[in-house]
Amino acid sequence: MKDVLKRIVFGKKEKYWWMTAVVPLISILLSFIVGAIFIKITGRSPVLAYKLLFGASGLFPGPYWKSHFAEMLLSSSMYIATGLGFAIAAKGGLFNIGAEGHFIVGGIAAAYLGYAQPFAGLPKFIHLPLIFVGVILAGGIWGSIAGYLKAKRGIHEVITTIMLNWIALYLIEAWLVIGPMEAAVETGISGTPYISVSAKLPKIFAGTRLNISIIIILAVTFFIWFLFYKTTFGYEIRAMGHTLIFGMEAPKAGGINVERKTIQTMFIAGAVAALGGAFMVLGVLFQYPPIFEGGYGFDGIAVALIGQNEPLGVILAGILIGALRTGATTVQLAHIPKTFPSIIEGFTVGFIALQVLIRYWIMRLVEGRKKAIQVDMGGGAK
Amino acid sequence: MNNNIPFLNASIAQALDYTAPILFAALGGVMSENAGVVNIALEGMMRFAAFFGVWGSFVSGNAWVGLLWGIGIGIALGALHAYITVKWAGNQIISGVAINVMAMGMITYLLESIFKTTGYSPPVAYFGAPASKVHLTFLKGIPILGAFAELTILIWFALILVVVLHFVLYHTVLGLRIRAVGENPHAAETLGVNVFKIKWFAVITGSVLAAFGGLALSLGTLSSFTNSMAMGKGFIGLAAMIFGNWTPFGALGAILIFACAQVLQLFMQGTATGFAKLIPLGFYLSLPYMLTIGALIGVVGKAVGPAADGIPYEKES
Repeated sequence: MKDVLKRIVFGKKEKYWWMTAVVPLISILLSFIVGAIFIKITGRSPVLAYKLLFGASGLFPGPYWKSHFAEMLLSSSMYIATGLGFAIAAKGGLFNIGAEGHFIVGGIAAAYLGYAQPFAGLPKFIHLPLIFVGVILAGGIWGSIAGYLKAKRGIHEVITTIMLNWIALYLIEAWLVIGPMEAAVETGISGTPYISVSAKLPKIFAGTRLNISIIIILAVTFFIWFLFYKTTFGYEIRAMGHTLIFGMEAPKAGGINVERKTIQTMFIAGAVAALGGAFMVLGVLFQYPPIFEGGYGFDGIAVALIGQNEPLGVILAGILIGALRTGATTVQLAHIPKTFPSIIEGFTVGFIALQVLIRYWIMRLVEGRKKAIQVDMGGGAK
Repeated sequence: MNNNIPFLNASIAQALDYTAPILFAALGGVMSENAGVVNIALEGMMRFAAFFGVWGSFVSGNAWVGLLWGIGIGIALGALHAYITVKWAGNQIISGVAINVMAMGMITYLLESIFKTTGYSPPVAYFGAPASKVHLTFLKGIPILGAFAELTILIWFALILVVVLHFVLYHTVLGLRIRAVGENPHAAETLGVNVFKIKWFAVITGSVLAAFGGLALSLGTLSSFTNSMAMGKGFIGLAAMIFGNWTPFGALGAILIFACAQVLQLFMQGTATGFAKLIPLGFYLSLPYMLTIGALIGVVGKAVGPAADGIPYEKES
């Protein structure tokens, strides 16, 4: 039973199957402790802050729970998208910092297909799928540039994805949005024109902003899980990921076309992260504004790391980050800026970077001091 | 014709002002990555130092104290990055992401809790004040050289640092050891080099240099901290380091090319006609990053980093 559970939930072989779950949990816990100390030092009340933060997070029933819960799922769907973007690439041994770029590329594609004339008159059940095809292609192609450069030229994807993020940002916000895609002056709108009614995501929870984005992303996550753990295609990518980091030739020798797989992996990663941008435009903003409130891409890295790059983990971590961000709007009542969750998030990522140390502590607890020297080094993106 | 000289000099001085923070960040990257530790946290380190510099200057009323506070936080962040990546062989990218995310949240928090403002700090004593600048009055009337007549001490320090860092990396034993550790740590270890010590040193020094970049923004160009700092300047520094082939002079050259793109953009905006006017602003802004990818592909020059860059070092037992 334990073995079956282990394979379904974690899909990786480790000496202690629960380690994958315990390391992020301890990291989160430590971060909340550090966060509390930080609040205390600056002369605020940590108890009040956390009470407000979780009270409005949508995780627990309370006043206005319905709207908090809806807002939480709304933002979680975007964090899950960018988190998956990182996790998918990590499965293939690639370090994708590009989710920020994929996110805005998806956003601009959704905005354009949402308002542009030949499409804007179509019925919803044709228009929406059409937009998503466009978004997936745009994000996927933008993602596969980094994959191509890695596969054919051997350029490290961390560098190219960072550069491509900025290229995407400037080309979109300093060209498209203020140039070819700018709304006509007489409409008085800054940014792109608003999308047509047929492009808006249907709402699923009356009286709130919650729309089908959460359902779409849960379906996509299931699809990704199936792809990676139940198909040869996914197995090959994981095989590549397990060995790529050591520079081994095994997958190549085993008949896997590593170059093509790298490009394909980055295509999927880019496409999924781009969905997040589409959710933002089609479900929240209804246009591409002059300046996009960014950060979802970088937070996606945190989501994936906290979720240990596993589909289920990414969902849980996405909901956690979504909840913290939703609750953060009320911590201002305790005189704490709403960027406070970034501190928790930053520390959590920091502790996950230190996972060798955390694993060492856990091993010492479980096995006593002597054996812990042979630390289990598994896990992590790289 | 003579009227153009002050204008030309002012433009160059402005370009130097743009150059200094990026140059510091790039040099910080050069230092750290030559010892084999990738640092994508340059941006976050700049943000931390920019804030702490202003804070120190605010508390004491003295820009030099602010400088010390900035250096202090640079050392602390460098030690954190080194503790994670060198001591515990943690992933260097993840550690960098952690510092960047922390910088976003923590600095906004401190800004609001210390100065009780959102978005910007009150003005403080800074190095850009006319009295604090380095005056070389005899250069004033000369074309081009006149740009150097009134610069902040931080700009001078950045320019001198390029030469110093080049000398240290390529003409001293320490530099040889740093580069050896970045190229082949196991071989260096065999020759009796303490790999961990060298990495700790390089990461902390690199972080302090990045901190100077932040200080050049908040205490050099401006006299206060704004919440949008460092506005991606750390990442341009990272790009410049790569474009400049992981060398100090290369990084300087890269930034000068990037600065030209900026100047060109301003010039084109004002005067361009016909085809040149069709080139959008976004193109000039994204040019540094396109050039960097071009350099890596081999289209624009050639960029090859240290062989063991980014690989955590663990002793063979």
